[in-house]
Amino acid sequence: MTGFTPGTGRRPDGAAFIIAACLAALGLLLLREGFAIPDKGGYAGVGSGGMPKVIGAGLIGLALWHVAAAFRSREPSRPRQQPVPLMWIIGGLALQLILLKPLGFSVASGLLFACTAAGFGKRNLWLTLPVGVAFALGVYGVFDRLLQLNLPAGWIETLIFGG
Amino acid sequence: MKHTLWGAALCFALATPALATDYMIMAPAAPGGGWDSTARTMQEVMQAEGIAGNVQVQNVPGAGGTVGLAQFASTAAGDPAQLIVGGYVMVGAILTNASPVSLADVTPIARLTGEAVGIAVSASSPIQNIGELVEMMKADPGSVSWAGGSAGGVDHITVGLLAKAAGVDPTKINYVAFSGGGEALAAILGNQVTVGISGVGEFLPQVEAGTMRMLAVSTADKWPGTDAPTLMESGYDVNVQNWRMIAAAPGLSDEQKAAVAADVDKLVNSAGWKAALETKGWANTYLAGADFDAQLAKEIEATTAILKDVGLVK
Amino acid sequence: MGTFDFLLQGLSVALQPMILLYALIGVTLGTAVGVLPGIGPALTVALLLPVTYGLDPAGSLIMFAGIYYGGMYGGSTTSILLNTPGESASIVTALEGNKMARAGRGGPALATAAIGSFVAGLLATLALAFLAPHIVKLALVFGPREYFALMVLAFVTVSAAFGDSTMKGLTSLFVGLALALVGIDGLTGQARLSFDVPQLLDGIEVTTLAVAMFAVGEALFVAGQGMRPDDTVHSLKGSVRMTKTDWSRSWRAWLRGTAIGFPIGAMPAGGADIASFLSYGTEKRMSKHPEEFGHGAIEGVAGPEAANNAAAAGTLVPLLTLGLPTTATAAIMLAGFQQFGLQPGPLLFATAPQLVWGLIASLLIANVMLLVLNLPLIRLWVKLLTIPRHWLYAGILLFATLGTIGVNPSPVELSMLLIFGVMGYLMRLFGYPIAPVVVGLILGPMAEQQLRRALAIAQGDWTTLVSTPVSATLLGIAVLALVVPIILRLRDKGAVLSQIASDAD
Repeated sequence: MTGFTPGTGRRPDGAAFIIAACLAALGLLLLREGFAIPDKGGYAGVGSGGMPKVIGAGLIGLALWHVAAAFRSREPSRPRQQPVPLMWIIGGLALQLILLKPLGFSVASGLLFACTAAGFGKRNLWLTLPVGVAFALGVYGVFDRLLQLNLPAGWIETLIFGG
Repeated sequence: MKHTLWGAALCFALATPALATDYMIMAPAAPGGGWDSTARTMQEVMQAEGIAGNVQVQNVPGAGGTVGLAQFASTAAGDPAQLIVGGYVMVGAILTNASPVSLADVTPIARLTGEAVGIAVSASSPIQNIGELVEMMKADPGSVSWAGGSAGGVDHITVGLLAKAAGVDPTKINYVAFSGGGEALAAILGNQVTVGISGVGEFLPQVEAGTMRMLAVSTADKWPGTDAPTLMESGYDVNVQNWRMIAAAPGLSDEQKAAVAADVDKLVNSAGWKAALETKGWANTYLAGADFDAQLAKEIEATTAILKDVGLVK
Repeated sequence: MGTFDFLLQGLSVALQPMILLYALIGVTLGTAVGVLPGIGPALTVALLLPVTYGLDPAGSLIMFAGIYYGGMYGGSTTSILLNTPGESASIVTALEGNKMARAGRGGPALATAAIGSFVAGLLATLALAFLAPHIVKLALVFGPREYFALMVLAFVTVSAAFGDSTMKGLTSLFVGLALALVGIDGLTGQARLSFDVPQLLDGIEVTTLAVAMFAVGEALFVAGQGMRPDDTVHSLKGSVRMTKTDWSRSWRAWLRGTAIGFPIGAMPAGGADIASFLSYGTEKRMSKHPEEFGHGAIEGVAGPEAANNAAAAGTLVPLLTLGLPTTATAAIMLAGFQQFGLQPGPLLFATAPQLVWGLIASLLIANVMLLVLNLPLIRLWVKLLTIPRHWLYAGILLFATLGTIGVNPSPVELSMLLIFGVMGYLMRLFGYPIAPVVVGLILGPMAEQQLRRALAIAQGDWTTLVSTPVSATLLGIAVLALVVPIILRLRDKGAVLSQIASDAD
């Protein structure tokens, strides 16, 4: 409770209600799953559905606790966040995910590298992208070729390291 | 100058895949497991013996091999250079996970290695032979707790088959699934459970050291290294072998299939493969062609029946 | 005397110059790969084991020992400096260690981790040599009901990692427990919460969740605060050496960590992660400065780091005495033994004493080598923090994804990395602790499975849970650990109430 710092708002903490709703939804999902699973407890008496029910109930309890706590406290101040850097990094991870198979490890990971650097303020892609691809190629060389970790290869890896 | 170099490199890169027989073997499991080491041993031997120029291993883990199997069936179709390792565990996993892709969607080539399932108790257990154990099950199936591998796996199936063969209701068996061999073995040694069931290889060192007693093995013939009777000899009609196999892509022509089968045959008969089996302690249970197809069909049928009996498949 | 003779013989082999060189190479490689965020000891050993294949048995063994201990040690460095643990056993190290690094005390945090690992490694390896046959008996006493009691105790100690708000800590824990339900239920084969996605049937990988929540979440959180390019992570203040107070606060924690870690590591269902959780909880309870926990208490680094290294040695007990590989790392080690045509088993001590004692001697040498290598390296590691942030975090994310891609390059796995990364970010933003999520994911399935196993063996009789002295004692300690603080808090309720009143304004 000491974690709540005096806030700016005079209304109850809005975010807490959203969190409570998410917890309750997750709890209901678990309860539904718990009851949907055929009871195959066997000799234990507790089957596959037992634990989802317990944890689902716990989550709903926590949701209620959040609601109660939200009425008692005021909106706490949170660290101010900038959306643009977040978008760069999330975009970089998504790009790597999509391009890993078609373009290979080095290009996809080089893009992630460059996007992350951009997220941290280094927007000069002409510098960061080649550095990232070269770095990822080095990592590929060490881990795939030397240590036999199977990383997805693209045209650039085939070109440099052979098939 | 630079251009010619790049050009040459590009030509080389493009030309490489066309050179002679290359294989890509999929191990539908994480690095380190049985299927992975089967694939990597094949890779080593095929390259060393000159059966294939370049062999690569790809790991696609998940859900008893069915994730890899599904990916293999869809991406490798018609490509004779792609192989997948599999095994009896996959037969069960396809059924219990209700996998949309089955072994009918690939081209099974041959059974390579296999292992008997062993039934064993701790040395201090009062149970002396398989007959006594079955009598206990008949009297009160719940009182006999079985420690073995994952639910629906080969150990579980073997217990189910034994119960059925002995006239005990298979749904009444008290099977306690353990993750990882180590934990199950510790539970057996510590007398936490009545009896253990696992690959014979896991029990043999304990039996040699006198800490465990092997009651029976599941194969049709006695297993090297133990004089424990087979279940068949003991009067229960159960014959299970936990085997590993190699399969090729779906949609191959008869010639392509024959070429792959010939390469696998060369592999199995090579000195390198025999030496590798020796060091790994794997038994050669090579079976190919129509015999393997017939055996596979029979086992799928029996497995489906028993998984329905123990209630894992509807 | 046989034991001593064999050990001396093993040491004399291990002290030859060539062998020492192999040890140095092994330790360096192990630390170098282990230090990368997202790559834990199991992957390190799996990757580097083939490097040892070409050597003669003695050289191969010692290099392997170096890689094993080096990989275990390397994990703590990025946990402390960058808040990006590569594996579950160094999560709690990050809790206090990273707070210390933020306060400019990264040097002492790394030093206490290094020296603690050394002390624990030394004592535990000696215990392995002399006590293995006795310890293994203890391990066999533990069946499902005893493990369940141990898990309950571990759950209670997790509350030490909750931070300021019990409500938020419990929420994190329950989110972890919910995630743990995804996949096939090990006991019945029933799929739960997998929504017909086959890749989810195997559940959520602990490494993926830990790397996502810590490395990706941390990168997002730091980036979200916005900054100019060329900023560095945090400034270095003070000495990189441990002060006298640091020493006096650390040494007991090292010893306690070793005492907890070794036996827990020796149990087939124990493991380094549980040992580190229990050690952290113990340190917080025993500390004279409990208020410092969550803000950079050195005991919270010293204890868990000693515990996870002692557990690493403990893992070898069932492997060498029973032939049981109880962790992923131990399973990979089996492959290492197989190259000598040996199957570890109950007879290994009798049939191949040179090998066993050679390994133990190698572990002792590797442990010393690790300390010699790492203490001077601390100055270098701390310099990591002076790398401009954009390069540093770009590199961290590349390595964090490398671990996932290398093990399982499926789009589902990478999507999870992204989703849990965003979740880790949001939890940081709203002040929810991260560690309990991962702890819930690890402990949840273990507790559930052991409970159901115990009940199945007892045919549904719940009294089985307290029917042995060990399980009853462990559950008793857990209840006391839960109830005593509540009673104490009720006694001080007046003080707390006035505190709340003052907070509310």
